[in-house]
Amino acid sequence: MNQSQPATAGIVDFLVERRGLEKAGIGFLVIATVIAFFEDSPLGKLSAAYLVAFMFFLSISLGAMFFVILQHLVGAQWSVAIRRIAEILMAPIGLLGVLSLPILVPLLLGSSYPYWWNNAVLRVDDYIVSKKTPYLEATFFVFRCMIYFGVWKIIASYFSRLSRLQDGGPRADLTEQMQRKSAPSMLCFAITVNFAAFDFLMSVDPHWFSSIFGVYYFAGCAVALFATLPIFLFIAQRSGRLGSEVTVEHYHDLGKLLFGFTAFWGYIAFSQYVLIWYANIPEETVWYGAREKGVWMGVSLLLIVGHFVLPFFGLMSRKVRRNRPALLGWACFLLLMHWIDLIWLVLPSVPGAKTGVGLVDLLCLLGLGGLWSASVLRESYAAHLIPIGDPALPKSIRFHAE
Amino acid sequence: MSDETKKEIRVVGVLAQFSGKQTLVKAASEVRSKGFKDVEAYSPFPIHGIDGALGIRPTILPWLVLIAGLGGGVLAMAGQWWTNTVDYPYIISGKPMFSLPANIPVTFEVMILSAASVAFTGMLALNRLPRFGQPLLRNNRFLRVTDDGFFLLVSDDEVAEEKIRQALEEAGATDIEVVTESVEESKIPVPLVYGAVILACFALIPPLMIASARGTTSQKPRLHTWFDMDFQPKLKTQTPSNLFADGRAMRPRIKGTVRRGGLVKDTDTGYTSIPAVGTPGGDSVQEWKVEFPMEVTDSMMDRGRQRFNIQCAVCHGKAGYGNGLATIRALELQQGTWIQPTSLHADHVRQQPVGQIFNSITNGVRKMPAYKDQITPEDRWAIVLYVKALQLSQNATLEDVPADMRETLKASE
Amino acid sequence: MATIASGSHEQDLYRDVTERVCKITERPKPPRAWYIAIVFSSSLTVMLFGLIGYLIVKGVGVWGNNAPVFWAWPIVNFVFWVGIGHAGTLISAILFLFRQDWRTSINRFAEAMTIFAVMCAGIFPGIHIGRVWFVYWLAPYPSQHLAMWPNFRSPLLWDVFAVSTYASVSAMFWYMGMIPDLATLRDRATTKTRQFLYGLGALGWTGSAREWSRYEKAYMLLAALATPLVLSVHTIVSFDFAVSQLPGWHTTIFPPYFVAGAVFSGFAMVITLMVPARRFFGLKDLVTIKHLENMTKIILATGTMVGFAYGIEFFIAWYSGVRYEQFAFINRAFGPYAWAYWIMVSCNVISPQLFWFKKFRTTPWLMVVVCIFVNIGMWFERFVITVTSLSRDFLPSSWGYFKPTAVDVLMFIGSFGMFFTLFLLFCRYLPIVAMSEVKAVMDDGHDHH
Repeated sequence: MNQSQPATAGIVDFLVERRGLEKAGIGFLVIATVIAFFEDSPLGKLSAAYLVAFMFFLSISLGAMFFVILQHLVGAQWSVAIRRIAEILMAPIGLLGVLSLPILVPLLLGSSYPYWWNNAVLRVDDYIVSKKTPYLEATFFVFRCMIYFGVWKIIASYFSRLSRLQDGGPRADLTEQMQRKSAPSMLCFAITVNFAAFDFLMSVDPHWFSSIFGVYYFAGCAVALFATLPIFLFIAQRSGRLGSEVTVEHYHDLGKLLFGFTAFWGYIAFSQYVLIWYANIPEETVWYGAREKGVWMGVSLLLIVGHFVLPFFGLMSRKVRRNRPALLGWACFLLLMHWIDLIWLVLPSVPGAKTGVGLVDLLCLLGLGGLWSASVLRESYAAHLIPIGDPALPKSIRFHAE
Repeated sequence: MSDETKKEIRVVGVLAQFSGKQTLVKAASEVRSKGFKDVEAYSPFPIHGIDGALGIRPTILPWLVLIAGLGGGVLAMAGQWWTNTVDYPYIISGKPMFSLPANIPVTFEVMILSAASVAFTGMLALNRLPRFGQPLLRNNRFLRVTDDGFFLLVSDDEVAEEKIRQALEEAGATDIEVVTESVEESKIPVPLVYGAVILACFALIPPLMIASARGTTSQKPRLHTWFDMDFQPKLKTQTPSNLFADGRAMRPRIKGTVRRGGLVKDTDTGYTSIPAVGTPGGDSVQEWKVEFPMEVTDSMMDRGRQRFNIQCAVCHGKAGYGNGLATIRALELQQGTWIQPTSLHADHVRQQPVGQIFNSITNGVRKMPAYKDQITPEDRWAIVLYVKALQLSQNATLEDVPADMRETLKASE
Repeated sequence: MATIASGSHEQDLYRDVTERVCKITERPKPPRAWYIAIVFSSSLTVMLFGLIGYLIVKGVGVWGNNAPVFWAWPIVNFVFWVGIGHAGTLISAILFLFRQDWRTSINRFAEAMTIFAVMCAGIFPGIHIGRVWFVYWLAPYPSQHLAMWPNFRSPLLWDVFAVSTYASVSAMFWYMGMIPDLATLRDRATTKTRQFLYGLGALGWTGSAREWSRYEKAYMLLAALATPLVLSVHTIVSFDFAVSQLPGWHTTIFPPYFVAGAVFSGFAMVITLMVPARRFFGLKDLVTIKHLENMTKIILATGTMVGFAYGIEFFIAWYSGVRYEQFAFINRAFGPYAWAYWIMVSCNVISPQLFWFKKFRTTPWLMVVVCIFVNIGMWFERFVITVTSLSRDFLPSSWGYFKPTAVDVLMFIGSFGMFFTLFLLFCRYLPIVAMSEVKAVMDDGHDHH
C-alpha cells in the first residue's frame, strides 16, 4: 500500500515481486541437504535440524494466534493497533502445514528419523515403545497433524477474515462475533498445541513423558511471539508502512508481556526439572541425563542463564522496556535463545544428531525463515497494517500506560 | 478561638480547597509557577499529573526494594548452605547437602518476603507514618480530604499570608483559610508517656523471667506444660508391676523355648569339649580354649574394637577399667544396686584363657548378662581378641615393643 | 470567590461512593441477618477450637488418618483453604498489573477473603504436626536445645515458607490498601472511640500528593511481588505431592494445574460471598452484574484448564507405559473412591460449563449455585488426589480405605465457622470496598470544569 519510499522500493520489489525470499530459503535448504550428506548420519542430522527450524517458526505463528484470540477473549483495547501485525504473523500457518510434509512423508515411508519409535523391530523389542504403538504410529501421527493444522487454519482464517471485513467500516457486530468465537477457539487452540507439542517434540524420545510438556512449548510460543512482534513493528515503522499509531506505550506493553512470559517459561521449565530431579525416577531422569552429557550440559546452563536469568533482570526495568533499541536487542536475543531451546529439546534425543549443533541447523533455520517471512511479507501487502475499521482503534492509539 | 489564643500558636500554612482533580492539578502548577516553594496537594485518591505539577521527584523506594529482595535472596541461599552443609550436614533422600534446585523455593519466598516488607515499611517510613496528631487533621474542613475534598497547602514562611491568599484565589480556590496549631496540642500528654513507660516495663517481666530460667539450673523436676510422650501408659524395662505374679514388668523367657537363631552350639561356649550343654563346671572334665578357633587377622582386631566400643564400653569403659558412662552415672545416682564391673586389667582376669572370656560374654558372669543373643560367635571372638590386646596394652613393658622401635619410644618420653 | 463548601458534580460522585461504603460500618445496627449469621458462625468457631483442644489433649488419633492414608482430611482442608485464598491476591495484583479497572470494586473484599482463608488453612498443618506446641521448630532459629536445623530440601519446609510469606504479604497488601479508607472512616467518625480506633489504623494518613506518590509506588511494587508469589504458593503446595514418587501425585503438570485450580476455587468463593453481601449491604451499584460476569468468565476459563489437566494426566498415565501410573488413574475413576472422583469431575469440569450461557453469567443466584458446586468439587479434587493415591501404594498388603471420624468432619465445618466469623466482622467494621481506588478510576468525563 505504501510505495512512497523509493529507497526501499527496490528491496521490496526484489523480495516480493521476484520472490527473492522464497528463492533464498529454498537455496539454503538445498545447501543444508548437501552439507548434511557429508555428516555421519545425514538423515538424522537433517531431519532434526529441519524439525527444530519448523517448530521455531510454527511457535511464532502459534504465539500470534494465541495473542489474537486472547485479545478478543478479554476484549482488550490497548492492543488493537498492533493486532493486525499479529494476524499477519499467524497467516503462514497454511504454509507451515505444507512444510510439515518433509517430516510426515518420510514417516509414512517408514523412516525412523527424527522419530526413532517408527521402527518395526523396536515395536516388538522395546517394551515401552511397544506399549505406545497405538499412539506413536505413522498413519495416526499424520492424521493428527492434519487435524492440528486444519484447526489452526480455520482459526487463523476466521479471525483475519473478520478483522479485514472491518476495514471496510467500523462494525461493532464483527467485534462481538469474534469475541463470541474466541472462547471455543482458545479451547481448541490449547488442546491442539498441547498435543502437537507431545507429538512433534516430546515423542523424539518415546521413552520419556512429562505432562507439563505442552505448556512448556506454549510458553516458548509466547516468548517467541512477544519477541517477534516488536521487531516486526519496528521494521514496519522504519520502512514507513506504519505511522505513529503504534506508540512507545505499545512497545512498553509488549516488553512487559515478553518479560512476563520469559518468567513464565522459567517457571514452567523449573517446575518440570525440579519435579523430575527430586523424584529421581529413572524413566524420567533419562531425558535430562541426555541433556547433561557433553556439550549439552553447556547448552542446558546457557538456557538457564540466557533464556531466563539475563532477560529477566534485563527486562525488569521500565526504562529498558520503553527504550526501543534495548527492547529490540532483548527480543532478538530471546529469539536466539528460543531457537537454542528447541535445539536442546530435539537434538540430544535424535540418533545421529546428538553430537552437537552445526551448520545444517543454521541453514535449515535460514531456509525455513526465508519461506516463512516471504509468506508474512506477502500477507502484509494484502491488507492495512492496522485494523482501521476496528471501533476500539482510537482508544488503542490514545492508550497511555501509567 | 478565644481559648486557644492563650496558647502558643504556630501557623501551619494557608489551606485552599478546590472543586476537582483537574482544577487541583492546574492550581498546583499555577501556584508553583508563581514561585512558592513549599506547596503540597491533598486529595482523596492519587491524581495523575500532580507529581509533575508539584515537582515531586521519583521515590527511591524501588531501589530499596530491589536491594532488600536481592539481599534476602543471598541471605536465604547462604543460610541454607550453611545450616544444611556446614552446621548440620545430613543426607536426606539421597540429595546432595547443597542442592540448588531444592533450595530455590525457600530462596524465592525469602526474597519476596523481604522485598515486600521493605516496600511496605519503606513506604511508611518515607512518608513519616505513623504520625498522629497532625494539625491539619484538626481542621474540620480538611477532613473532607478523605472523602471528596481537594486541597492545596502553601506553607512558605517568608511570604506574606495575603500574597498566598491572592495566588490561591487566582488559581480558583473555592475556600481559603489559615491553618494553625497550638504547640501544646502537638505534644503527647504526660500521663500517656508515663503510662506507656510503665506498661513497657511490665511487658519486660515475662521475657526476663524466661531468660533467667534458661540461664540457671535447678534440682527440681522440669515443669510439664505439655506431657509430650514423657508419661506413657506402658511398662518400662526394669520396673515393678503388679500385673504379673512375680512383680516384674519384664517377662523372662518361657521355659523350653529358644529364640529363633538363639540356640547355642557346642562350639559357641568357649570350651574345647562339652558333654552337655549349659553345665559349665559340672562333672565332666572341661577345659577352656586357650587358642582362638580361627585365624587371627587385622580385620578381626578392627571388628573387635568396633564391637567392644559398641557393646562393652558403656559399662567397662573404653580402656576396660570398669568405668564406662553407664557405670559412672549409676555410681553417681548412689542407689546401691549397681556393681561396678571388674577391671579387665585385674590380675585374675588377665590370666583367664580366651575361652573363659568368651564364655563370660556368651553366658554372662555375676551381674553381667549373657550376650549370646546379641552378638554373633564370630564377633564375640573378635571382642575377646580386642580385650586381650587391651590387657596387653595396659601392662606392656619395653621388651614388648619391637627392638627397632624402642629407641623412638624412649626419645619421645 | 465561591464560598460554598460542596458544589461540583465531580465531588458529588466521590461523596456518593464514600457514603455508600461508609454507611455500612457507620449505621448503628447491622441487619438482623448479620446477627443470626454471626451467632451461628461464631458457635462453629468455638466448636473448632474446642475440637483443637480435644485433639491436643488426646492426640491425632482422634482423626481418621491411619496407615496407609496418613495425609487425609487435614491436608485436604489445608490445600482447599489455601486455594481459596488465591483469588484475593490475584484480583489485587495481577488484575492491577493488567489495568483491569473493574477489580477496584471487589479487590478489598477478595483480599480479606484471602487472608481469612489463609488463616483457616494455616490451622490444619499446624495441628497436624502432632505436638502443636513445638510448631516453632519449623522455623530456622539457632537452638541450643535442638542443636539442629530444618531440612531445607524438604518440600514441607518450602510450604512453611510459602504459606507464611503469602500470609504476611497479603496482610501487608490488604492493610496498606486500607490505610486511605481507614482515614476516611476516621475523618467521618462521630464518636471518640471510632475516631481513635480508625485513627490508629490510618496511621495519620493525610492524603498528600507526596504520600500518594510513594504509596502508589509501593502498591505497584507489592502487586509486582505478589504476582509471582501467588503463583509460587500453590506451586509449592503442589510440590508437596509432586516431588514424591507416588503414582497420582508425581506428575509434572501439577504446578500450573494447582494454580489454575486455586484461582478457580478462589473466584468461586468470591462470588459465593459477594452476591449475598452486595444484596445485604446495598452495593449493587458498585459491584455490578458486569463485575460478577467477568468473574464467572475467569471461573469458566480456569475450570476448563483444570478439566484439561485432568485429561492430560490420564493421557500421560497411559502414554507413559508405566503400569503403576496407569493403575493409579484407573483406580481413581473406577476404584473404591470412584464416587469422590465423579463428584469432582461433575462439579469441577461440568458445572462451570454452564457459564457458557449468558443467563448463568448474569443471574446472581444461579452463579452462587454453580460456585458452591465448584467449591465442593475443588474440595473433592484435593480429596481424590490425597486419599485415593495414598490408599493404594506400591505394597498391596498395606492398601486401605480411609474413613473420616466425626472430629474430621466437624473440624472442617468449624473452619467455615471461623472463616465466616472473621468475614462478618470485616463487613461490619472495615471498609469493604476500596473507596480511594474506585474514585481514582471513576470516569472523570463528568468533570464540568
